[in-house]
Amino acid sequence: MNDDRIDKADVLQGTLILLVLRTLEALGPLHGYGIARRIEQISKDVLQLNQGTLYPALLRMEQEGWISSKWGASEKNRRARFYSITAAGRRRLTKETQDWRRMSSTIERFLGFDPRSLAEERG
Amino acid sequence: MSWATVVAARLRGLLEHKRLNRELDEEVRFHLEMQIEDNLKAGMNPAEARYAAMRSFGALERMKETYRERRACPLVETTAQDLRYGMRTFRKSPGFTMTVVTVLALAIGVNTAMFSVLNAVLFRPLPYRSPENLAMLWTEDPTQKFHEGRSALWDVDQWRSQSQSFADMATFDSVSTTLTGTGGVEQIAGASISPNLLPLLGVQPVLGHTFSTEEAEKGRRLVLISHRFWQARFGGSYDTLGATLVLNGVPCQIIGVLPADFQIARIDADVWEQHTRGRGVRGAETWFVVGRLRPAVTFDQAQAEMSAVARRLNDQLPAAERNRVISVVPLSLYIVGPQSRLALWLLGGTVFCVFLIAAANVTSLSLARSVARTREMAVRAALGASAGRIVRQLLIEGVLLAGVSGVIGTLLSSVGVRLIRAFGPGNLRRLNETSLDLWVLGWALAISLLAGVLVGLLPAVATLRRDPRPAGDQDGRSAPGGVVTSRIRRALVVADFALAIVLLAGAGLLVRSWWYVNSIDPGFRPERVLVMELSAPPTFSIPAQRADLYRRVLEKIRAVPGVENAGIIGDLFISNSREQVITVEQDDGTVSARLQFVGDEASADFFKAIGTPLLRGRFFSTWDGPDAPPVAIINDAMARCSWPRQNPVGRRFKLGLRDSDHPWYTVVGVVGDMRRQGLERDPFPQMFVSLAQSPPPRNVDLFVRTSSDDPMAMAGSLQAAVRHVEKNAPTYGVAPLEQQLGTYLVQRRFQTSLVTGFSIVALLMAAVGIYGLIQYSIATRTQEIGIRMAVGAQAGEIFRMMLGEGVKLSLTGWMLGLLGALWVGQAGSSLLFGVTPTDPLTFIGVSLLLIAVAVAASCLPARRAMKIAPIVALRRD
Repeated sequence: MNDDRIDKADVLQGTLILLVLRTLEALGPLHGYGIARRIEQISKDVLQLNQGTLYPALLRMEQEGWISSKWGASEKNRRARFYSITAAGRRRLTKETQDWRRMSSTIERFLGFDPRSLAEERG
Repeated sequence: MSWATVVAARLRGLLEHKRLNRELDEEVRFHLEMQIEDNLKAGMNPAEARYAAMRSFGALERMKETYRERRACPLVETTAQDLRYGMRTFRKSPGFTMTVVTVLALAIGVNTAMFSVLNAVLFRPLPYRSPENLAMLWTEDPTQKFHEGRSALWDVDQWRSQSQSFADMATFDSVSTTLTGTGGVEQIAGASISPNLLPLLGVQPVLGHTFSTEEAEKGRRLVLISHRFWQARFGGSYDTLGATLVLNGVPCQIIGVLPADFQIARIDADVWEQHTRGRGVRGAETWFVVGRLRPAVTFDQAQAEMSAVARRLNDQLPAAERNRVISVVPLSLYIVGPQSRLALWLLGGTVFCVFLIAAANVTSLSLARSVARTREMAVRAALGASAGRIVRQLLIEGVLLAGVSGVIGTLLSSVGVRLIRAFGPGNLRRLNETSLDLWVLGWALAISLLAGVLVGLLPAVATLRRDPRPAGDQDGRSAPGGVVTSRIRRALVVADFALAIVLLAGAGLLVRSWWYVNSIDPGFRPERVLVMELSAPPTFSIPAQRADLYRRVLEKIRAVPGVENAGIIGDLFISNSREQVITVEQDDGTVSARLQFVGDEASADFFKAIGTPLLRGRFFSTWDGPDAPPVAIINDAMARCSWPRQNPVGRRFKLGLRDSDHPWYTVVGVVGDMRRQGLERDPFPQMFVSLAQSPPPRNVDLFVRTSSDDPMAMAGSLQAAVRHVEKNAPTYGVAPLEQQLGTYLVQRRFQTSLVTGFSIVALLMAAVGIYGLIQYSIATRTQEIGIRMAVGAQAGEIFRMMLGEGVKLSLTGWMLGLLGALWVGQAGSSLLFGVTPTDPLTFIGVSLLLIAVAVAASCLPARRAMKIAPIVALRRD
């Protein structure tokens, strides 16, 4: 059980940036909790987000200049930090999306491929 | 790009540490509250909602840690923590800290001061344009052991026109100069230079202009003055240009002021004139020659070309002089010669050894401390500090200690530099340029860091090799030393002793040389003798006038109360000697030989005044007048050389070959050898002729034997007596003869006393090192000793056991050190005098001294071990 979660978290680490950027692009400025909820809603049980890991990731993305943040009032009029995607973030999203698509289609092809057909071609 | 923004963001994070932490807390709190609210909405009870929120968030503190590390530069932040922690531990152990800082600061200070000397004298480029291309050119005759000889102007013209390697060559020499002012005549330092010297060196006057060829053509007498002279005589006024100085009785116009501290080679003058000469005359060989190599020409290439030039020129010389060579020497090598360089490197090595010993001792101390801190480290490790973090902590403590020591040491070295400039050997060129510049500060920083790493690294390594965890079980009082730690400490003590014996042996050899030099008989009695130089006024151009002047001066001086005797010689101390051909009458005809030889004019009473014994014959007398046949007094060396095992009195010799136009001299007396080149140079053949018979020089040395133990006290009345005879004859350079003789020993005294002082410091440090080790070894083995005594060991056995440990280590160091000392002795053998580099007396002496110190230093703590009461030792746990 435990090992299982770690595996999932590892997968998540690599794609978290992609998910956050895509979320912010689609929904506009959101606070951290909003982002976490959104990711959970869409991925349901497949990706188990360890919500805490979101914040160091947000910090890194802000340092890289892909997102920006500012303090504002939440829907219930509470002080919260809102993140929004920047121009650099959009470029990054495009690139990450392409990479991801290329990667997943490659893996897809690989998994759908029958090694025996290669053997027959040779034979 | 991206990494730069990340770094910038992180630096910002570092600065806004507190605010950002608060913001993160707020953000997390907001997140959790939102989650709890949502959970409540989903129908959980408050406790459940809170728990679920926390669980879905994950490990809160670990997240914050990651966040903080990513936000700031963790290295900087944790290093700051380590520094704070280090400062705290130092405050808690002031004894350790003070000891370490004192020892390291002294070692760093001494090293930095010595480095600033090396930097000024050896490393810093000479203050000329592209000084690396400047060379001295010498006329030499290796077959006659004649080196660094000066050259004739005609020769230099030939060299210049026949060689391609040199862009230009210039000539210079110091000249005796009198300055006539309102207060009478005085002697000042003058130099004569070829007009192209300053452009060749790339030196511009700070005021006015340099010599030009047109002015030289017009035959006007022009002069450049030194910055010092300008300040002292003209108060640095701009009206100085165009003013007139009466030099050697001739008015000269000042056209420029040279930069401060300008000198060329070893000549430092106040007035600089350009020299003029008749064309087509070879002239006397009295000129120093400096040349500038064309760019990209090496000294070897220049030497090869000049050797070929010398071979061509030899064909035009008289047969006896055809062995001449031209030698090309880098100017910097001439200014600070190989002997001084060796001495400086030796001193530099000495203080570096002292530094190493100091660092070894401090390392040993901090190793001992690291063992005592095993428990502390175990606690830190248990609280989650990684091994790397602990090692870094120890390293940072070391660097911190060394940094503080380095700052104090640098301050100390600035004091040291002032002392060296004040008391160092004045005849060591460029020593007065010693100062703390960026290179020196860089060196201070480098050795401070080295000390820090040495002091911190070994304890860190030892800590790593030791598993700290089991120590947590103990109370830390009798932590086992750890095999690694004690092995390192033993090695350090061995190294201490090895270095100490190298230094002691070096110091011993130098001290023996010093004793030997001082026991040498100079061939005269310098006590109570006052020396002054005397110049005849330029108006005394006829030799007989000068002879008469000197005779009257001597008469007047002998009449001064307190004067026992007085004499005059051309120049007592010989600065430059060379071979001459001498023709000697022997039983079987005349023999001509070339030998190193010097002749001087001396007054009749000169030998009596200075205390040189007459071995045979007689001194000069009143009969040896201008019309009598020429007579000479020779020294013992010449008697042995020219008339071996015969009585030279009554025999004749002449300068040059048999058919030369020099007169024949009859030997009337033989005097003892005088060491006229300092005590360390062997006397060579010399002759003395009477002042009355040969044209006396313009400048002479006047010797006055007084009845006072402080001859300087009589300087005033003696100078007044000379002025009374002739007011235009300046006297200068007044000094006791002992002091003049002493200047030849200043550099030796400097290096001997420094090396001796440092080696004593090294010995003491080595002693402290072994004392500390034995002391510590006993402290950690108290229990073992208690058990040994409880089962019947005698106090004497315990004592021998502990003493043996110290002696064994010092003997190992002693053996290693002896090898080093033999090597150093060989390398520095040219600095020794009268002793061989393997002088057995020195080696046995310093070995005994070292072993005695080692035994004494081990005895003190070993005696304490003997007194350990077994019951106390056993009760400790």
